[in-house]
Amino acid sequence: MWIERKALAAEIPAAAALDTRQLCELLAALGFPVDGVASREGTEVLDVDITANRGDAMSHRGVAREVAAKLQQPLTPLAPPPAAEGAPKVTVRLESPACPIYATALLSLGAGGTPMETQAFLLALESSPKGLPAVDASNELLHRYGHPTHAFDADRIQGAVSVRWAKAGEKLVTLDGVIRSLTAQDLVIADEAGPIALAGVMGGEGTKVTEATRRVLLESAWFDPKTVRATARRHSLHTDASHRFGRGADAAMASVARDLLVARLQTWAGATLEGAWTVGSLPTPDAKVLLPEAMLTRVAGEPLTLTEASEILHRLGCTVELHPEALVAQPPTWRHDLTIPDDLAEEVLRLRGYEHIPSVLPALEGPPRPLAPAYLQRQALARRLAHLGYLQTVTYGFISPEADAAFAVVGNAPEGRTLANPLGQEYSVLRGTLLSSLRATAEQNLRQGVREIRLFEVAPTFTSGPQGPTESYTLGVVWGGTLGGEDYLSPARPVREADLVGIAWDLGLDSRPEVRSLGEGLFGFELPVSDLPQAGARIIPAFRAFSRFPAVERDLSLLVNLGQSYEALASAMRAALPGTMLQDLRCVDVFRHKSLPEGRQAWLMRLRFQGDRTLVGGEVDGWVASALAAAEALGAKLRA
Amino acid sequence: MDHLLPPEIVEAGRAFPQALAACADLDGLLRLKGAYVGREGSHAARLMDLLKAAPKEQKRDLGAAINGLKQEWEEGLKARQTELETAKKNLTALASNWDPSLPPPVPARGALHPLNRLMDRLVEVFRPLGFHVEEGPEVETEVHNFDGLNIPEDHPAKASSDTFYLAAHPELLLRTHTSPVQVRTLLRVAPDLVRLGGTRFLAPGRVYRKDEIDPTHSPMFHQVEGMLVGHGIGMQHLKGTLEYALRALFGPHTEIRLRPSYFPFVEPGCEVDVSCPLCGAKGCRVCKGSGWVEILGAGLLHPNVLRHAGIDPEEWSGWAFGMGVERMAMMLSQTPDLRLFFENDQRFLKAMGGLD
Repeated sequence: MWIERKALAAEIPAAAALDTRQLCELLAALGFPVDGVASREGTEVLDVDITANRGDAMSHRGVAREVAAKLQQPLTPLAPPPAAEGAPKVTVRLESPACPIYATALLSLGAGGTPMETQAFLLALESSPKGLPAVDASNELLHRYGHPTHAFDADRIQGAVSVRWAKAGEKLVTLDGVIRSLTAQDLVIADEAGPIALAGVMGGEGTKVTEATRRVLLESAWFDPKTVRATARRHSLHTDASHRFGRGADAAMASVARDLLVARLQTWAGATLEGAWTVGSLPTPDAKVLLPEAMLTRVAGEPLTLTEASEILHRLGCTVELHPEALVAQPPTWRHDLTIPDDLAEEVLRLRGYEHIPSVLPALEGPPRPLAPAYLQRQALARRLAHLGYLQTVTYGFISPEADAAFAVVGNAPEGRTLANPLGQEYSVLRGTLLSSLRATAEQNLRQGVREIRLFEVAPTFTSGPQGPTESYTLGVVWGGTLGGEDYLSPARPVREADLVGIAWDLGLDSRPEVRSLGEGLFGFELPVSDLPQAGARIIPAFRAFSRFPAVERDLSLLVNLGQSYEALASAMRAALPGTMLQDLRCVDVFRHKSLPEGRQAWLMRLRFQGDRTLVGGEVDGWVASALAAAEALGAKLRA
Repeated sequence: MDHLLPPEIVEAGRAFPQALAACADLDGLLRLKGAYVGREGSHAARLMDLLKAAPKEQKRDLGAAINGLKQEWEEGLKARQTELETAKKNLTALASNWDPSLPPPVPARGALHPLNRLMDRLVEVFRPLGFHVEEGPEVETEVHNFDGLNIPEDHPAKASSDTFYLAAHPELLLRTHTSPVQVRTLLRVAPDLVRLGGTRFLAPGRVYRKDEIDPTHSPMFHQVEGMLVGHGIGMQHLKGTLEYALRALFGPHTEIRLRPSYFPFVEPGCEVDVSCPLCGAKGCRVCKGSGWVEILGAGLLHPNVLRHAGIDPEEWSGWAFGMGVERMAMMLSQTPDLRLFFENDQRFLKAMGGLD
């Protein structure tokens, strides 16, 4: 909200002595940080950030009240000459408790316009003056004193005026030219022909003040905040008036604002007051709030006397009664946000200054808790992959339906994971897979010309369920491009599917992951993090004895059919060997060449034996022979 | 002293540096060593004989001269030996394809994402104070995300213009902050709060808000929530904890500043500024010359938040804070555009990981 320096100083003269930096710091310390300072219309304006709970501060007078309370300096008295009230000139009926008080006046306009300084004031606040005194004065009062008012063209009002709930389907063209279809929850000001204003939100086009207006009927009322908020939201119509009524205006200002408006019209436009009157009465004051001394001390972190607290609350406009161990405060009519003891404690601390709060580390009241194994597992997993040369990515949790369908598990219906109001189709499904996001990221990096890309992400993926999506942490890994070839010792070769299997095994997966081809030379896999082992409960695993006798290695070059299952061959060979002696069996080389018989390839199998005694050559020969026999049974042949 | 020494030895002494430089290999050096300092027949051996035979009054001066020469020769020989050995080793290495001047093969280097590193660091900072980590789902209910946090039922944040909702489950939404983890954790620990001695935890995680993607907005970002519940907790404990934590993060000379602010789930509420870690509060572009940077929002738990979980606010009290991870990461790294964190360009990830 824009605050003009001179207009602020008009309300609190002591503020004139502060330079801009001091004023900004003072406001920030009160909870109203200044987001920017600008120079407009030859004056300085501050962009003051007012939090949602402080509707009372949304005006120059409101900010001035805060400054005055902090500086302990007086505000300029606000006492316009009261308009003499008389009998109503127009019947005004309040038919809903959402409008308890309605001050009004009927005036005939004379000659004159909005003073230049008022026009400049409005321009400085980025509000455009209309050159119509009734409109500009109402607008000026709103910015200066925070109370929204409205002027109707009295000659366009038909019969009695009432504040009532709209009838469902009733229409109103608001000042912005939009036809509004009303509901029974909208509070309206109506004449006998129908609604003429959305109460506390916006006036109607049909009764607006124009150049031709000769008589005005003023409205300065108080509307229930919740009602105004609901109407503003329902019609997506957020106005200066709805912001202030929606956050709770000051009902006591209804007649004061009316008087201020009357006085301006008399001065600016030579208006003649035909009558002023008020319908209804002030709403019940907000409840008193009790602040126990013990609570104040707890919140403040040091003993504060109730006398000091009472003095501060008094400065803020509260009426305070002191009791032996507590105080009771009646908040002023403009502070609807003071409802619980904590609110009062905050006000005391705020006015004293948060810089006075002591700094204390809270004592531990119970035993600290360990970090959860699942959290530690993810952390260790990420660190392991980083050490293995992988870059961790962070990508959006929602993707396009096509990207999701490319890899999400069949049966994980995307409908259960679709957003009602996505930013766009490409961000519309809570992803059931990480591979699409990783693929896109890898491709974008490969397009930049990197030779090799290794990426991983650990993030939740979503699975549709009857109660809504469930989430589980998933690991996705992609690897692609050319491996090696970047120094004189490492030959270049393309990344292969097998490399990804190796990574999964390195991470402790005890089965073969489903490696997906994601494009030219790019591979990936994903799996639930829960498929990977967590650190064991034992700090150090139990000791397992190992042999101290020498190991014996034998290589067998086998001719096998192309298409031979390695797992089948290896397990057949293992089964033929003494388990206590066989330490390792693996294929260490594959040879395919036209010199080999048609349809055959050569596998170099390496067998490693070690036992609890020194092995004798003859017995090893016997084992190798049985392994070979087992291989031959599957069609393999010893290569000559 | 040279007049005490035989002329041929004086001459040998003069010739020594040149002879040393002329040694091209270790064999040559060994021969030179034999000639100068060898056990028998060397210049040094002759000098020792000379010393033995010298008259008593000359012994002292002669001894000093001889020692000086011997020391010069020995040191020279040793230095040259090291030189020749290194050259030989390099030559051997070259013969076996190893040229130490060539770049070696370096294992591929990976890195954690900067946002995760920052969150990990925050957890490390709070661990010594007894904070553990709590987590919650990203798909949440209105109760956990709003109602349990004393957010009024007609709060604008609930609107579909601000919050993502699920099409098939209108009651479910993507959490807009990590605060629902407060609600879930309080509900879980409430029956056991006395035995546990309150609770204190961090909740790092991803959150979603319906913001268009631009240099300072992202529909998904990260927060770290902190919460503490105990007896007699006041603003002093919030300040003390944050002062400790922010000093641990940014350095021991860091100052913090609390400013009043408003969030529905805390009372009193505050924004916390930290003295600019980049310029040491002197004033720079990052702190816009003010010396202060806004780092998080915090406050004492609103009694309604405790009540919602069935915890008596007369007995228990606490504080909570929430900080934006991207905001802090951008500030610390001076990254100009939020989108870089989600583009995952390997150059960015490597640089942020301290590689290259």
